[in-house]
Amino acid sequence: MAVISVRNLTKTYHVGEVAVHALRGVSLEIEKGEFVAVVGPSGSGKSTLMHILGCLDSPTSGEYFLDGADVSHLSDDELSEVRNHKIGFVFQGFNLLPRTSALENVELPLLYNAGSLSATERRRRAMEALAAVGLRDRAEHHPNQLSGGQQQRVAIARALMNRPSILLADEPTGNLDSRTSIEVLDIFQSLREERGITIVLITHEPSVAEYGSRIVAFKDGRIVSDTPNLRQRVARGELAEMPIAREDA
Amino acid sequence: MRAIRPSLMIALRALRRNKLQTALTMIGITIGVATVLTMIALGSGAESAIEDQVRAAGMNTIIVTAGNYKTKTEDSGSAVEEQGRIAPRVEFVPAVWRNPQGAGPLMPLFRPVFHPEDDPMEKHDHPTASQRLGDTEAGLGAAATLTSADADAIRKISGVQYVSEGIHNNAHVAWGAKRWFTRLHGDDVSLPLIRRAWVFEHGRFFSKREQSHAAQVVVLGSIVSQRLFGAENPVGKQVSIYKQPFEVVGVVASGSWLVAAAPGDDQFDAIYVPFTTIQRLLNLSKLNDITITTSSSGEVSRISQQITDLLRARHRIGVKDPDDFTVTSQARQALAKGGMLPQVARSVVGNIAGLEKVTLEQLGKTLDRASRTMTALLASVAAVSLLVGGIGIMNIMLLSVTERTREIGIRRAVGAKANDVLRQFLMEAVALSVTGGLAGIAIGLAVSNIIGQWVQWSVSISALAVALSFGIAAMVGIFFGYYPARQASRIAPIDALRYE
Repeated sequence: MAVISVRNLTKTYHVGEVAVHALRGVSLEIEKGEFVAVVGPSGSGKSTLMHILGCLDSPTSGEYFLDGADVSHLSDDELSEVRNHKIGFVFQGFNLLPRTSALENVELPLLYNAGSLSATERRRRAMEALAAVGLRDRAEHHPNQLSGGQQQRVAIARALMNRPSILLADEPTGNLDSRTSIEVLDIFQSLREERGITIVLITHEPSVAEYGSRIVAFKDGRIVSDTPNLRQRVARGELAEMPIAREDA
Repeated sequence: MRAIRPSLMIALRALRRNKLQTALTMIGITIGVATVLTMIALGSGAESAIEDQVRAAGMNTIIVTAGNYKTKTEDSGSAVEEQGRIAPRVEFVPAVWRNPQGAGPLMPLFRPVFHPEDDPMEKHDHPTASQRLGDTEAGLGAAATLTSADADAIRKISGVQYVSEGIHNNAHVAWGAKRWFTRLHGDDVSLPLIRRAWVFEHGRFFSKREQSHAAQVVVLGSIVSQRLFGAENPVGKQVSIYKQPFEVVGVVASGSWLVAAAPGDDQFDAIYVPFTTIQRLLNLSKLNDITITTSSSGEVSRISQQITDLLRARHRIGVKDPDDFTVTSQARQALAKGGMLPQVARSVVGNIAGLEKVTLEQLGKTLDRASRTMTALLASVAAVSLLVGGIGIMNIMLLSVTERTREIGIRRAVGAKANDVLRQFLMEAVALSVTGGLAGIAIGLAVSNIIGQWVQWSVSISALAVALSFGIAAMVGIFFGYYPARQASRIAPIDALRYE
């Protein structure tokens, strides 16, 4: 069964008198364990799609099934719960809470989890997640004391806290240099391979999209192509070949 | 409810980040709460102040008055004999509360005592003042049975602290062209020791030497001094009383602002001369009353009894004959039997002889007026500072919501519900006001103690008062924090995330 199933999704914004059609009937099925790269120029509607897939926004019309459940007509509170349980976000600007330690940032989703955990348990899990992205010794650092790559790894650790069904990454490499970008993509690829996590990555760079297992191209609010990526790039191999750059750690 | 603790943690963390801002925002609430607490402390302190003063005035005071108005010719037979042996003679007390014109429950206490001899139809078993002394002297000696020798004998009783002989009359005091009609007290040198609330604005009380020489010296009450001399220091000036020159040696005023001097009162619209001087001038050998204080208030009954026995012996009163004097003392138990509240009864005790009557009357009036003014003042200060403090909180919270829109977006993205956000910001506002409130409670406690020591006012701060102040602080936080918090919770997740 598809993790994400979207049918005839439209989204229309009203900017003053003008109606902006961000999505004009999008249908998409994403299976468990896929690494889907959504590409397209800015304004093509790919970000709008991600917001709807991430339950941050509701479609104007159409249907959206997440894990088989219709989430297109849920209340605000129900959407919050879906975001908490089933969706992990990774943003271009990292979106970590400023003046808050990496550990506390990672703990955040647990704070809003209905199954209340003890503070020590939250801490333990957050520490585990940080260790998984190699930042155990940076737990008490605040975001401004971390490099871009480290911040994005904290964000990834946070996104994975509640073991979501899908990981939504919106231009995750946009603020990173090329080596760090590949490192982040490596994390995505290994998450997919080791844990079978479904990843939807949104980018305007075709080169980044090439790390996905499937590439969906957007233009003017419509899908223009949707093909399996037969020549998927492997981040780990490329990292091995790259000259050892100064690690930002 | 599940997220109260985390919300609180988040809130406290947020407040810690901006310490200066937090502190400045809290000041208004701090002042408001401190004022509220001080207000309550002073208000309830006023109540216990009355009680203290009443206790101080009445509990260890025994007053022996010349004459015994209770025993009448109609009261014949054994009843008279019985009463003649009973001491202290609290039976006289009903004259105070029996007053039929009493409007409120407390008012009769402050009515001038109805003098039984004022009733021309009343029959007495002793020669009345007018019979004995003639009309001119009627005001002076109601029944002249007490002498200085009696007072000296009482001084020898163990446990007696101070004894003051008293002769009371009205007199004109003149200085130059100015005249003032006032109460003249012939008293003993120990009177200032009995009147605890006295301070000497100028000069001193007359001395033992002046008393034994029956010197023509006078101590003016502050009202009299003011009427005759204005702001001038009258010490050393000569005034005339009964056409005799008297040297002013001191001015006595109230040492407690609870007992404000007022024209017509018995303490400060009065003049004091040695009783010996009055006796000499008016050719008297008797006293109106003897005021006694005991070292310990627990000994009042024993000493009252001893005084009664002593005076009966000295006046050679037969076993079957009634007393020719009245011993009044702390009559609380007898009064309480009449269904009065203990504190009211105590006021009456202080009221009995008329000596403390004025103190209590003034106390009641002044206290009422002062505490009402004070409460109104403090209440308005409290209300204004709480309002300003609350608006400050609202302002800082609105700013905070705008500043942290991105944070709201992040929290919503990872699963915070609108209510979680609302709770978080509300908690922050409450944490702000409550922290300010706690500081206010600390300051309020300190301030009330300082005020208490300053004006000698027993302030009482109950746990309830502290809890109330705390509650007010929390209420202000909730009231003024709700609007910003609701604004925060209403931002759509996607708009909050996109906010730059």
